[in-house]
This record gives sequence, C-alpha cells and structure tokens, in this order.
Amino acid sequence: MHELGIANEILDVALSEAGRNAAKKVTSIRLRVGVLRAIEAGNLSFLFEHLARGTPAEGALLEIVEDPVRVECDACGVSESPSFTLECPRCKGAGVSVTGGDSLSILSLDVDT
Amino acid sequence: MAPGGNVRIDVERSIQRSADESAAEIRAFLLERKIFALNLISSPGSGKTTLIEALLARFEGKGGVAVVEGDIETEIDAERIRKLGVQVRQINTRSSCHIQPFRLLSVLREMDLSTTRLLLVENVGNLVCPAEVSLGEDARVVLLSVTEGDEKPLKYPLAFKTADLLVITKTDLLPHVTFDVERVRRAARAANPAVEIFEVSATTGAGMSDFLDRIEALRAAKR
Repeated sequence: MHELGIANEILDVALSEAGRNAAKKVTSIRLRVGVLRAIEAGNLSFLFEHLARGTPAEGALLEIVEDPVRVECDACGVSESPSFTLECPRCKGAGVSVTGGDSLSILSLDVDT
Repeated sequence: MAPGGNVRIDVERSIQRSADESAAEIRAFLLERKIFALNLISSPGSGKTTLIEALLARFEGKGGVAVVEGDIETEIDAERIRKLGVQVRQINTRSSCHIQPFRLLSVLREMDLSTTRLLLVENVGNLVCPAEVSLGEDARVVLLSVTEGDEKPLKYPLAFKTADLLVITKTDLLPHVTFDVERVRRAARAANPAVEIFEVSATTGAGMSDFLDRIEALRAAKR
C-alpha cells in the first residue's frame, strides 16, 4: 500500500497547481513512473479516486507514462527494458549495467478553467 | 488565461519533493554535528538488529553511537539495544511501511547527540518502500541473508540499485541452502556498479571485521 502516500502527494500538488491557475476542475494528471518503483497503477488510481472525492480533482484520470530501465550492454550499446534484467534484451549477453527506471514525477495537469 | 477552456499546466515536479526536503534537512543536521549515518534496509529477519549489535561492540569506547529503530509496532528492537546501554529511540510507523524522513528528523531533534559520531537507523523490515525514500543518510546498507534466496536483487531491484553497501548475512548457513553468491554479486553490480559487497556471519564472526573496518573508515572520513 505504499501507493497511499504517493496518491496523497499527487492530490496535494494537483490541488495547489489548480488553485494557482484558478482552475475549476482537474480532469487529468500525467505522471512519469519508473518501472522500478513497484507502483501498481490500479491501486494508485483507486486510492487517488477515494482521496480526491469532494475536491476539484474528483474524477481526474491518472495517466501514467512509464519510464523503462536503460540497459547498457558491453557488446551492443543501450536498449530499454520494461523490467530489471541481468541480460541484454538484444544479444542476451551478461555484461550489462542497468540505469534509470526510478523516476516518480508529475508531468502535467489538464484543468478546466 | 481565457475562462471556460481545458488547458494543460506543465508541472514537472518530483512526487517525493516534501520527503526529499526533509531528507536534505537531516543531511544538513548531521553534517553540522559531523555525525555519520547509516540507513539499514532489508527484509524482516535478515539480521539488521544483529548487525547493529556487532557495530555497537566495535565502536564501544570510540565515541558515541546512537540508534533509531523503525518498526510497524513494538519497542522490542529498541529494548534489545537499550540493554547494551546505548541511546536508542523507537519509531513505530503504524500504517507506513518505512521511516518517513520528517519523523526521523523530529526524533533526532529530541535526542542528545552532542557526543554522537555514528548514527544507525534501522528501517522497517521491507525491501520495497524504504528503498524509495532517502533519510539523508551518508550510506545505505542493504542486507540479504542467504536463507532468503538469490533472486532478491531481481525481485526488488530498487533496493539494490540504491545501496552503497550490500551485506550478505548468515553465510555460515550456505552449506545448507541453495544460494548462489556470485549471482547476487552480479545482479547487485548490474544495478549499481559502485556497490561494495560484504559476506558476513554474525554466528561465526566470518567477514565481520572487513565490514566493520569499512564502516569505521567511512565514519572517520566525515569530519
């Protein structure tokens, strides 16, 4: 249930940004979520929906832009993977280092003014 | 803007900004007092409290050590440390699966850290949430006991990616379990090429002095 704190923070940011921009309603929120963050989108949406009730963000959709991990292979360069891996997705080689996939940020809000 | 339309507001902001701000406050608090802090993370039962006991034995008489214990419930771990005559505080996180930096900060402000040089923070036993949140520590120690299985770095990659030191514990049990140490080393290095890896047994003492020497050197470097 670590999504609860995250849902809370998304709501806080959405409401303060909506207020600053004199928006009446938040209709959607775009997030960038790293695949290593172990975030279950269904849980996050469920919790957000509950928390947002009675606020200008009630009913807002959470749109998740996935941030994959980047696999740097000694043999064939950089590729992407939807999960942590010990082998290169292309050549299956083991000489890899894995970076990225850990972002957790709010990209933008769509609001009605 | 013109009223009545649907518009996009660019935000581009970390969802963890408030936690990151508290972590930065802790970092400044520790720096000012020249306290070196470790954040210990692992599954329940990997040996965090036992490793803390080994650290306390090593640093006895070498300047103050303080401990903060994090658990969902109970003072059991704090009691275990208190018996050794060490300043300890327990944080019960209840519904939260990790120590929140703002809770740690308020506890640190209440403690007497005037002679403390080393702070040991034992996070809640869990490889998911504690890995996501910085506590402003100088080094993050992830423990993996050989009885847990060697797939842990693949199952919980963020914990291993964010670790500065990986301590493989209970190595005296290796003859009795299927655990490929090399596989773990390889996975941990893929996630973080700079990770320092130690193999220890608190029961036999094997490998422990290498780990303790390293912590002592890291602590000495923070002046």
